[in-house]
Amino acid sequence: MTKTVLEVKNLWVEYPARRGVVQAVRGVSFDLCQGETLAFIGESGSGKTTLGLALVRLLPKSARVRQGNILFYQNGRVQDVLALSQEDLRQFRWRDCAMVFQGAQNSFNPVLRVESQFYDTARAHGMTGTAHVKQRAIDLLRMVQLDPNRVFRSFPHELSGGMRQRVLIALGLLLQPQVIILDEPTTALDILTQRSIIEVLRKLKKELDFSLIFISHDLSLAAELADRVATVYAGTIVEIGGVYDIFERARHPYTQALTHSVPTVTGDLRDLTSIPGSPPDLIVLPPGCAFHPRCPFATQRCKEQEPPLEPVGEGQFAACWNWREAMNKT
Amino acid sequence: MATQAISTSLAPQKRTSLKVYFWRVANNYVLRRVIKALATIFVVITVTFFIIRLMPSNPVDIFIQEQMALYNSSYQEARDRAAALFAIDLTAPVTQQYLDYMGNLLRGDLGKSYRSQGAGVADIIKQFLPWTLFSVGTALFISFTLGVALGMVMAYRRETPLDYVLSTFASLVSSIPNYLIAIIIIVTFGSQLRILNIAQMRGSISPGVQPGFTLKFIGDVLYHAALPIFVYVLTTIGSWMLAMKSSTVATLEEDYVTVARARGLKDSRIMTSYVGRNAALPLFTQLAISIGFVVGGSVLIETIFVYQGIGQQLLKAINQRDYPVMQGIFLIITVAVVFANLLADLLYGRLDPRIRVGSEETK
Repeated sequence: MTKTVLEVKNLWVEYPARRGVVQAVRGVSFDLCQGETLAFIGESGSGKTTLGLALVRLLPKSARVRQGNILFYQNGRVQDVLALSQEDLRQFRWRDCAMVFQGAQNSFNPVLRVESQFYDTARAHGMTGTAHVKQRAIDLLRMVQLDPNRVFRSFPHELSGGMRQRVLIALGLLLQPQVIILDEPTTALDILTQRSIIEVLRKLKKELDFSLIFISHDLSLAAELADRVATVYAGTIVEIGGVYDIFERARHPYTQALTHSVPTVTGDLRDLTSIPGSPPDLIVLPPGCAFHPRCPFATQRCKEQEPPLEPVGEGQFAACWNWREAMNKT
Repeated sequence: MATQAISTSLAPQKRTSLKVYFWRVANNYVLRRVIKALATIFVVITVTFFIIRLMPSNPVDIFIQEQMALYNSSYQEARDRAAALFAIDLTAPVTQQYLDYMGNLLRGDLGKSYRSQGAGVADIIKQFLPWTLFSVGTALFISFTLGVALGMVMAYRRETPLDYVLSTFASLVSSIPNYLIAIIIIVTFGSQLRILNIAQMRGSISPGVQPGFTLKFIGDVLYHAALPIFVYVLTTIGSWMLAMKSSTVATLEEDYVTVARARGLKDSRIMTSYVGRNAALPLFTQLAISIGFVVGGSVLIETIFVYQGIGQQLLKAINQRDYPVMQGIFLIITVAVVFANLLADLLYGRLDPRIRVGSEETK
């Protein structure tokens, strides 16, 4: 069977703010297998990005990891990311887990050429020998369908947004990390560029063996790329399961509402519904299930008790007291 | 295929005609900037020429008043002496004077001082400018490097006691005028505490010390320049610190700094090439302007510390209405400021590839 490369156990992240404590990630647990693509979907402000940053410990200084474990498995070795020393952490970043950020427009130092940024990364991880690094960089740039001769010597501002995003993906693969986190990799790109990025990612996944964590609010992209999908609401996973189960047989009312709020190619436009209300305030969360004020199936119990993730199908879990009702309704 | 054929057949025919060549030269960025700089200098020279002559009184009257006060001579006596001494005709129309001056300037002749036994303006500048260049230049170098370093420290340690102390210091010293600090130093350390021998520190060099590459000479030069340099540094460092701090804080928020951390780069590398270099960019324009003003020195500081630099000469020339000297000093200040800016514009492209203009052929 496939082996687990990443295991997150009961992770809590919060930001102290003037009004109170922002609970950005509340008890998230999941695991990621070798070669698997896991997509996190949810509205803005649901804590997806904080989750991604926490995995490589790049949270802003003000953030606090209250509890939890982030375990990386590699060659039979386990690394607890939260317990790494500064130097080990530096080595761990990018070599074991690379993160491609949203808005790659500004991901490159504007005063350095693309090549120096490749060399910088290699040198920071003890890869010496320019020729070797250059060869790998050029291969990777070709893999992301860029012209290496032009791009490698360019300054970031000489490249378009889509090109920069692809360069960043190539840079992410430079050290052959086991896991790559893509945080909104296609935001701020036009639809055709988005498409080519997705194609590039698919091709890379086929050619190179790495696991992918894909954070997005774009359901259609998640549907195309992911093997498994996790729906995030108010800082916690409310449903997780195989991509077909999530899109075809969602059990959680929030996942159902999400999938019904985007148009499908074949579906009728009348089927489109929006989710009433707005995302919850992460400082003052509603008691019980955080989704109950917007949920059509909410009962008294939902207002009082927070539901745990429980199995609702094969490899599918949902955190809802009334998932059976929600299932029958659709 | 078709387009390819056309383009290859066209290429050899593309000849650089004279007209094309002319436009290429005319559109050259560097050339355009140089012409603009020269035009600026011309305008400034013209304006200062007339403004100087609009000042109340004139060199002859000032001289006559000085003579009357000094030797208690009658107006007539003083006037006669002035007439003998001043071989100049101040009654000539101003436009004629202007044309003469510009004509001489084009030949590289800055004229002669009306006073100081008719010494050449160029000689006066040659004699006093090095002292100013040395003292203000050293101070600017110290102030800029130290200010940038401290600014980065403040940004990295922001919201800590160290940041509060340095911020308060920076805004305090940058808001006190430099002449006040100079006077405070003289009064407290010179007169009251008697730590410094102000009288001995006057001037730019002790009498009897021979210029040369000797330890004694260098030590003496530094001894005399120490107080002016200290005051310049103290009064300018605050603005460099605050500018660098805000610039660094903004740069630290940039995505590429976070990405650099995610890439596992060493902190030292991130601090220099990713944060420092980008944060210092906006300061270079300011630095260029400051370099230009190094030439002008500071009239008040040089006067207070009796440091024999160009600023002191300027003050003297203004008091005596010594038109040629004033013009000469204003001219070199103008040239220095304009060319420092020009250089900054041309060099900025080296520092920031995003604004590399014109120098590269458009593809």
